[in-house]
Amino acid sequence: MNAATMNARVDGIARDRSRTRNARTLTLLLGLAFVAATVYAIVIKDTDWTRLSIGGIATTLGRFAEFDVSMLPGLVDPTIDTALMATLATFLGLFLALPVAWLGARNITPLGRASYVFGRGLMTLSRSVHEIIWGLIFVSAVGLGVLAGVLAMAVRSIGFISKVIAEAIEDVQPGPLEAIRAVGGNKFQVLWYGIVPQVLPVVLGTVIFEWDINIRRSTIMGLVGAGGLGLVLFRQMARSNYGGVATVLLAVLALIILGEVISHYARKAII
Amino acid sequence: MTIALEVRNLRAGYADREILKGVSFAVAPDDFFAIIGPSGAGKSTLIRCVNRLVEPSSGEILLDGDDLVSISQRKLRAARRNIGMIFQEFNLIERLSVLDNVLTGRLGHTGTLRSLFRVFKRDDIARALSLLDRVGLSDHVHKRADRLSGGQRQRVGIARALMQNPRLLLVDEPTSSLDPKIAREVMALIREIARELRIPVLCNIHDVKLATDFCTHIIGLQDGVKKFEGKPADLDERAMHDIYALEVL
Repeated sequence: MNAATMNARVDGIARDRSRTRNARTLTLLLGLAFVAATVYAIVIKDTDWTRLSIGGIATTLGRFAEFDVSMLPGLVDPTIDTALMATLATFLGLFLALPVAWLGARNITPLGRASYVFGRGLMTLSRSVHEIIWGLIFVSAVGLGVLAGVLAMAVRSIGFISKVIAEAIEDVQPGPLEAIRAVGGNKFQVLWYGIVPQVLPVVLGTVIFEWDINIRRSTIMGLVGAGGLGLVLFRQMARSNYGGVATVLLAVLALIILGEVISHYARKAII
Repeated sequence: MTIALEVRNLRAGYADREILKGVSFAVAPDDFFAIIGPSGAGKSTLIRCVNRLVEPSSGEILLDGDDLVSISQRKLRAARRNIGMIFQEFNLIERLSVLDNVLTGRLGHTGTLRSLFRVFKRDDIARALSLLDRVGLSDHVHKRADRLSGGQRQRVGIARALMQNPRLLLVDEPTSSLDPKIAREVMALIREIARELRIPVLCNIHDVKLATDFCTHIIGLQDGVKKFEGKPADLDERAMHDIYALEVL
């Protein structure tokens, strides 16, 4: 290659690079402009600046620090309720998720494309509606209380659990299934000895994960009247009893930490 | 000569590609019958046609005189109970114990309710234990299958197949996942047990040396067509050339 063509190639590469650099800078500037415009439109114009003063903010936040220790004995029952709600909802969710996973796993779905699409549709429906909305729906269906919360979280849990299980079923090793078929096993035996042992660790891991999430969810289910710590939180909020709110949040935190610890050890035990 | 398994003009494949193009052979009750040939020749498809893990498109497969190609799904399950199969990748259920894996060999004879709760009959458990003794795994009965070495896993696979009390053993590349020494041990074990229990063996194997050392009868497949049939001693250079088509080397 002579010097002229080499120069031409280097020039070409240098041109490409400066073009890329300019494009990157432009993208960055546009991004910043978008953020600035958004902040102006929805934060700066929308906020009641006359209410805000450094002292005011500090005083209000300070009120949250006045924990109401006398509330603690009364929080024991709602905390237990909340934990039980989450646990029950997870079991119910798993129970409902199994048939959905069966429908939504391409390799074992019973009626071909129709049942596959139906199964996948149920998964999406469950996940695309927020748990608070499910809560409102079930509160109107079965009335205020823990039952509505349990149903809401169970239905909300179906989507994730069944999706993960269905994908695990689609990924099973075909060999063991072939072996069960070869000894003359029926469809159920292929499922029970070939597929279930292969997906079991995924199922258990997912259920523990979902339980962990449901503990969190259950702490807010009270906002729609579905019982537990959320209901207490909401009442304290309505009374502007900031110390009480902080105390309830403390109980929520304790419960979530407990959930973390339990799910950590449970996950270790099954793998 | 009595015949245990006869395959007549067997064809199999997909709409656009035929894999077996009319293969015929007969296996005697005391045969250790090998199928050799290059990759893609149809060896594995041929073995799988016998218990219809792959559906043949035409032809006949007669096991002790009964045709396996034309029977219904229900009768097929009954027929499969009598045909043991040993796999290249062992195909064990990794999370179950060695004993449970061997017991799955009885699933064809076990009702759905019993299999749901894994309640196997006492006789079956006794038989599984003695088979595990026979294949040299009596110390590993309660270990999980995924804790074993390759050779040990294949022994579990052998015990599982024997658990069926089979009238025919199908063996699909039993040694491809094993090192050469273990491969010979496994072949020797299959041969010994097949002789002891008088079970004919149909074995597909790509290692020609193992085939000539352990088998009593060999057919060679190339591109879905039988190119050779005879005793191991008949497998000369010419025959090898026919099977493997070593035109350019």
